[in-house]
Amino acid sequence: MTEGEFDLAACLASVLEHDEEAARALVERLCPQVIHIVRRHLPKRAAEQDLAQEIFVKLFARLPDYQPQPAVPFEHWVSRLAVRTCLDALRAEKRRPELRWADLPKEQADWLEYMIADDSAPPESDAASARELLGRLLSQLKAEDRLVITLLDLDQKSVTEISQLTGWSKALVKVRAFRARRKLRKVAEIFQKRHVYERI
Amino acid sequence: MKEFDKRWQICVAKARQAAPRPESLPLGFAMRVLSQKRPTMENGLEVVWERLAMRLMAAMAGVLLVCAALDLPNLRAAPWLKPGIENTVCQVVWKL
Repeated sequence: MTEGEFDLAACLASVLEHDEEAARALVERLCPQVIHIVRRHLPKRAAEQDLAQEIFVKLFARLPDYQPQPAVPFEHWVSRLAVRTCLDALRAEKRRPELRWADLPKEQADWLEYMIADDSAPPESDAASARELLGRLLSQLKAEDRLVITLLDLDQKSVTEISQLTGWSKALVKVRAFRARRKLRKVAEIFQKRHVYERI
Repeated sequence: MKEFDKRWQICVAKARQAAPRPESLPLGFAMRVLSQKRPTMENGLEVVWERLAMRLMAAMAGVLLVCAALDLPNLRAAPWLKPGIENTVCQVVWKL
Protein backbone atom coordinates (compact mmCIF):
# COMPACT_ATOMS: atom_id res chain seq x y z
CA MET A 1 0.00 0.00 0.00
CA THR A 2 1.49 3.40 -0.90
CA GLU A 3 1.16 6.52 1.22
CA GLY A 4 -1.71 7.90 -0.88
CA GLU A 5 -3.64 4.64 -0.98
CA PHE A 6 -3.49 3.88 2.71
CA ASP A 7 -7.02 3.70 4.08
CA LEU A 8 -6.60 3.93 7.83
CA ALA A 9 -10.23 3.21 8.75
CA ALA A 10 -10.30 0.06 6.59
CA CYS A 11 -6.93 -1.03 7.96
CA LEU A 12 -8.09 -0.61 11.57
CA ALA A 13 -11.28 -2.54 10.83
CA SER A 14 -9.23 -5.39 9.31
CA VAL A 15 -6.84 -5.43 12.28
CA LEU A 16 -9.81 -5.80 14.61
CA GLU A 17 -10.84 -8.83 12.57
CA HIS A 18 -7.37 -10.36 13.20
CA ASP A 19 -6.07 -9.70 9.69
CA GLU A 20 -2.29 -10.09 10.00
CA GLU A 21 -1.49 -8.32 6.73
CA ALA A 22 -3.42 -5.26 7.90
CA ALA A 23 -1.64 -5.40 11.27
CA ARG A 24 1.72 -5.54 9.51
CA ALA A 25 0.76 -2.57 7.31
CA LEU A 26 -0.30 -0.62 10.41
CA VAL A 27 3.01 -1.36 12.19
CA GLU A 28 4.96 -0.30 9.11
CA ARG A 29 2.98 2.93 8.81
CA LEU A 30 3.25 3.90 12.48
CA CYS A 31 6.82 2.76 13.04
CA PRO A 32 8.62 6.04 12.16
CA GLN A 33 6.31 8.00 14.47
CA VAL A 34 6.74 5.54 17.35
CA ILE A 35 10.53 5.25 16.86
CA HIS A 36 10.82 9.04 16.87
CA ILE A 37 9.01 9.30 20.21
CA VAL A 38 10.93 6.38 21.71
CA ARG A 39 14.29 7.91 20.76
CA ARG A 40 13.35 11.21 22.34
CA HIS A 41 12.34 9.67 25.67
CA LEU A 42 14.36 6.48 25.84
CA PRO A 43 15.71 5.60 29.30
CA LYS A 44 19.49 5.15 29.36
CA ARG A 45 19.46 1.40 29.88
CA ALA A 46 16.44 0.49 27.77
CA ALA A 47 16.57 -0.94 24.27
CA GLU A 48 14.91 1.15 21.60
CA GLN A 49 13.24 -1.77 19.84
CA ASP A 50 11.96 -3.33 23.07
CA LEU A 51 10.20 -0.13 24.07
CA ALA A 52 8.78 0.35 20.56
CA GLN A 53 7.52 -3.23 20.67
CA GLU A 54 5.88 -2.65 24.04
CA ILE A 55 4.07 0.36 22.57
CA PHE A 56 2.78 -1.65 19.61
CA VAL A 57 1.64 -4.52 21.82
CA LYS A 58 -0.29 -2.05 23.98
CA LEU A 59 -1.68 -0.43 20.86
CA PHE A 60 -3.10 -3.71 19.56
CA ALA A 61 -4.45 -4.63 22.98
CA ARG A 62 -6.25 -1.28 23.33
CA LEU A 63 -7.35 -0.92 19.73
CA PRO A 64 -10.85 -2.32 20.40
CA ASP A 65 -11.38 0.59 22.84
CA TYR A 66 -10.30 3.25 20.33
CA GLN A 67 -13.13 5.59 19.43
CA PRO A 68 -12.46 7.66 16.28
CA GLN A 69 -13.07 11.36 16.89
CA PRO A 70 -12.97 14.02 14.17
CA ALA A 71 -10.83 16.38 16.27
CA VAL A 72 -8.38 13.69 17.38
CA PRO A 73 -6.62 11.84 14.55
CA PHE A 74 -5.51 8.24 15.11
CA GLU A 75 -1.84 9.28 15.04
CA HIS A 76 -2.49 11.55 17.99
CA TRP A 77 -3.98 8.65 19.96
CA VAL A 78 -0.85 6.63 19.12
CA SER A 79 1.43 9.48 20.20
CA ARG A 80 -0.33 9.73 23.53
CA LEU A 81 -0.01 6.01 24.10
CA ALA A 82 3.68 6.10 23.12
CA VAL A 83 4.49 9.09 25.35
CA ARG A 84 2.76 7.52 28.35
CA THR A 85 4.54 4.21 27.82
CA CYS A 86 7.87 6.04 27.62
CA LEU A 87 7.02 7.93 30.80
CA ASP A 88 6.35 4.62 32.58
CA ALA A 89 9.69 3.30 31.32
CA LEU A 90 11.48 6.42 32.54
CA ARG A 91 9.81 6.09 35.94
CA ALA A 92 10.88 2.46 36.14
CA GLU A 93 14.51 3.46 35.69
CA LYS A 94 15.71 3.05 39.26
CA ARG A 95 19.18 4.48 38.99
CA ARG A 96 20.18 7.54 37.01
CA PRO A 97 23.59 7.43 35.35
CA GLU A 98 26.20 9.44 37.21
CA LEU A 99 27.37 12.53 35.40
CA ARG A 100 31.14 13.10 35.54
CA TRP A 101 33.16 15.76 33.82
CA ALA A 102 35.90 13.26 33.01
CA ASP A 103 33.41 11.21 30.97
CA LEU A 104 32.51 14.12 28.72
CA PRO A 105 34.19 14.46 25.33
CA LYS A 106 35.77 17.88 24.83
CA GLU A 107 32.95 19.17 22.59
CA GLN A 108 30.31 18.34 25.22
CA ALA A 109 32.44 19.79 28.02
CA ASP A 110 32.69 23.02 26.00
CA TRP A 111 28.90 23.23 25.75
CA LEU A 112 28.47 22.61 29.45
CA GLU A 113 31.09 25.19 30.32
CA TYR A 114 29.31 27.67 28.08
CA MET A 115 26.02 27.05 29.88
CA ILE A 116 27.38 27.59 33.38
CA ALA A 117 30.15 30.11 32.77
CA ASP A 118 29.38 33.81 32.65
CA ASP A 119 31.61 35.11 29.91
CA SER A 120 32.05 32.53 27.22
CA ALA A 121 30.79 32.38 23.65
CA PRO A 122 28.85 29.41 22.22
CA PRO A 123 31.28 26.69 21.16
CA GLU A 124 31.84 25.92 17.50
CA SER A 125 31.35 22.18 17.95
CA ASP A 126 28.81 20.16 16.00
CA ALA A 127 25.09 19.83 16.77
CA ALA A 128 25.43 16.16 17.68
CA SER A 129 27.63 17.10 20.66
CA ALA A 130 25.02 19.57 21.89
CA ARG A 131 22.34 16.91 21.56
CA GLU A 132 24.43 14.34 23.43
CA LEU A 133 25.09 16.75 26.25
CA LEU A 134 21.39 17.64 26.54
CA GLY A 135 20.63 13.93 26.78
CA ARG A 136 23.16 13.54 29.60
CA LEU A 137 21.79 16.52 31.53
CA LEU A 138 18.17 15.44 31.04
CA SER A 139 19.01 11.94 32.29
CA GLN A 140 19.68 13.50 35.70
CA LEU A 141 16.07 14.68 36.03
CA LYS A 142 12.97 12.89 37.24
CA ALA A 143 10.91 11.15 34.54
CA GLU A 144 8.17 13.80 34.47
CA ASP A 145 10.64 16.70 34.38
CA ARG A 146 12.65 15.09 31.63
CA LEU A 147 9.53 14.44 29.57
CA VAL A 148 8.18 17.96 29.85
CA ILE A 149 11.51 19.61 28.91
CA THR A 150 12.02 17.25 25.97
CA LEU A 151 8.55 17.92 24.61
CA LEU A 152 8.69 21.65 25.23
CA ASP A 153 12.23 22.49 24.15
CA LEU A 154 13.45 19.75 21.82
CA ASP A 155 10.14 18.87 20.13
CA GLN A 156 8.84 22.47 20.40
CA LYS A 157 5.36 21.32 21.42
CA SER A 158 2.95 23.84 22.87
CA VAL A 159 1.67 23.61 26.43
CA THR A 160 -1.75 22.58 25.06
CA GLU A 161 -0.21 19.76 23.01
CA ILE A 162 1.80 18.51 25.98
CA SER A 163 -1.31 18.64 28.10
CA GLN A 164 -3.15 16.48 25.56
CA LEU A 165 -0.26 14.03 25.21
CA THR A 166 0.34 13.53 28.92
CA GLY A 167 -3.12 14.07 30.36
CA TRP A 168 -1.74 16.75 32.72
CA SER A 169 -3.49 20.11 33.07
CA LYS A 170 -1.95 23.13 31.32
CA ALA A 171 -1.11 24.70 34.68
CA LEU A 172 0.67 21.51 35.76
CA VAL A 173 2.68 21.44 32.53
CA LYS A 174 3.82 25.03 33.11
CA VAL A 175 4.71 24.39 36.74
CA ARG A 176 6.61 21.21 35.88
CA ALA A 177 8.52 22.98 33.09
CA PHE A 178 9.50 25.81 35.44
CA ARG A 179 10.66 23.43 38.17
CA ALA A 180 12.45 21.19 35.68
CA ARG A 181 14.47 24.13 34.31
CA ARG A 182 15.38 25.15 37.84
CA LYS A 183 16.54 21.60 38.59
CA LEU A 184 18.54 21.54 35.37
CA ARG A 185 20.36 24.68 36.41
CA LYS A 186 21.08 23.13 39.82
CA VAL A 187 22.40 19.95 38.18
CA ALA A 188 24.74 22.03 36.00
CA GLU A 189 25.92 24.09 38.99
CA ILE A 190 26.60 21.04 41.16
CA PHE A 191 28.44 19.51 38.26
CA GLN A 192 30.60 22.60 37.87
CA LYS A 193 31.38 22.78 41.61
CA ARG A 194 32.39 19.13 41.64
CA HIS A 195 34.63 19.73 38.62
CA VAL A 196 36.36 22.70 40.32
CA TYR A 197 36.84 20.60 43.48
CA GLU A 198 38.31 17.70 41.46
CA ARG A 199 40.80 20.06 39.78
CA ILE A 200 41.99 21.33 43.19
CA MET B 1 18.45 31.88 36.09
CA LYS B 2 17.56 33.90 33.01
CA GLU B 3 21.13 33.75 31.71
CA PHE B 4 21.15 29.98 32.16
CA ASP B 5 17.80 29.71 30.36
CA LYS B 6 19.10 31.80 27.48
CA ARG B 7 22.20 29.65 27.10
CA TRP B 8 20.16 26.47 27.51
CA GLN B 9 17.92 27.57 24.65
CA ILE B 10 20.97 28.27 22.45
CA CYS B 11 22.24 24.75 23.18
CA VAL B 12 18.79 23.29 22.48
CA ALA B 13 18.56 25.19 19.17
CA LYS B 14 21.96 23.78 18.19
CA ALA B 15 20.89 20.26 19.24
CA ARG B 16 17.81 20.51 17.05
CA GLN B 17 20.06 21.04 14.03
CA ALA B 18 21.58 17.60 14.52
CA ALA B 19 20.81 15.30 11.62
CA PRO B 20 18.00 12.96 12.61
CA ARG B 21 18.78 9.26 12.54
CA PRO B 22 16.70 7.33 9.99
CA GLU B 23 13.40 6.29 11.54
CA SER B 24 13.04 3.35 9.21
CA LEU B 25 11.67 0.00 10.24
CA PRO B 26 14.29 -2.31 11.77
CA LEU B 27 14.57 -5.59 9.90
CA GLY B 28 11.99 -8.13 11.13
CA PHE B 29 10.46 -5.66 13.55
CA ALA B 30 6.89 -6.00 12.24
CA MET B 31 7.15 -9.80 12.53
CA ARG B 32 8.43 -9.47 16.10
CA VAL B 33 5.52 -7.23 17.06
CA LEU B 34 2.95 -9.50 15.40
CA SER B 35 4.31 -12.56 17.19
CA GLN B 36 3.81 -10.69 20.48
CA LYS B 37 0.37 -9.50 19.44
CA ARG B 38 -1.05 -12.97 18.80
CA PRO B 39 -1.16 -14.13 22.39
CA THR B 40 -2.96 -10.98 23.51
CA MET B 41 -5.62 -11.33 20.84
CA GLU B 42 -6.07 -15.09 20.55
CA ASN B 43 -5.23 -16.41 23.98
CA GLY B 44 -7.04 -13.84 26.05
CA LEU B 45 -8.54 -16.58 28.23
CA GLU B 46 -5.09 -17.99 28.95
CA VAL B 47 -3.91 -14.62 30.15
CA VAL B 48 -6.92 -14.32 32.44
CA TRP B 49 -6.32 -17.84 33.74
CA GLU B 50 -2.62 -17.10 34.38
CA ARG B 51 -3.50 -14.03 36.39
CA LEU B 52 -6.19 -15.84 38.37
CA ALA B 53 -3.98 -18.88 38.91
CA MET B 54 -1.28 -16.78 40.53
CA ARG B 55 -3.82 -15.18 42.85
CA LEU B 56 -5.33 -18.57 43.61
CA MET B 57 -1.89 -19.94 44.50
CA ALA B 58 -1.24 -17.01 46.78
CA ALA B 59 -4.63 -17.50 48.47
CA MET B 60 -3.99 -21.23 48.94
CA ALA B 61 -0.56 -20.55 50.42
CA GLY B 62 -2.24 -18.16 52.85
CA VAL B 63 -4.84 -20.79 53.83
CA LEU B 64 -2.07 -23.37 54.38
CA LEU B 65 -0.15 -20.98 56.61
CA VAL B 66 -3.28 -20.23 58.65
CA CYS B 67 -4.01 -23.97 59.03
CA ALA B 68 -0.41 -24.62 60.11
CA ALA B 69 -0.60 -21.80 62.63
CA LEU B 70 -3.88 -23.16 64.05
CA ASP B 71 -2.46 -26.68 64.31
CA LEU B 72 0.82 -25.65 65.90
CA PRO B 73 -0.33 -26.04 69.59
CA ASN B 74 -1.62 -29.58 68.86
CA LEU B 75 1.60 -30.47 67.09
CA ARG B 76 3.64 -29.60 70.17
CA ALA B 77 1.29 -31.52 72.45
CA ALA B 78 1.17 -34.64 70.26
CA PRO B 79 3.46 -37.47 71.45
CA TRP B 80 6.09 -38.75 69.05
CA LEU B 81 5.63 -42.24 67.62
CA LYS B 82 7.39 -44.88 69.63
CA PRO B 83 10.48 -46.41 67.93
CA GLY B 84 8.97 -49.88 68.20
CA ILE B 85 5.94 -48.88 66.18
CA GLU B 86 8.11 -47.05 63.60
CA ASN B 87 10.28 -50.16 63.22
CA THR B 88 7.26 -52.42 62.79
CA VAL B 89 5.83 -50.16 60.09
CA CYS B 90 9.20 -50.09 58.29
CA GLN B 91 9.48 -53.87 58.41
CA VAL B 92 5.96 -54.33 57.03
CA VAL B 93 6.61 -51.87 54.21
CA TRP B 94 9.97 -53.50 53.46
CA LYS B 95 8.35 -56.97 53.22
CA LEU B 96 5.72 -55.66 50.83
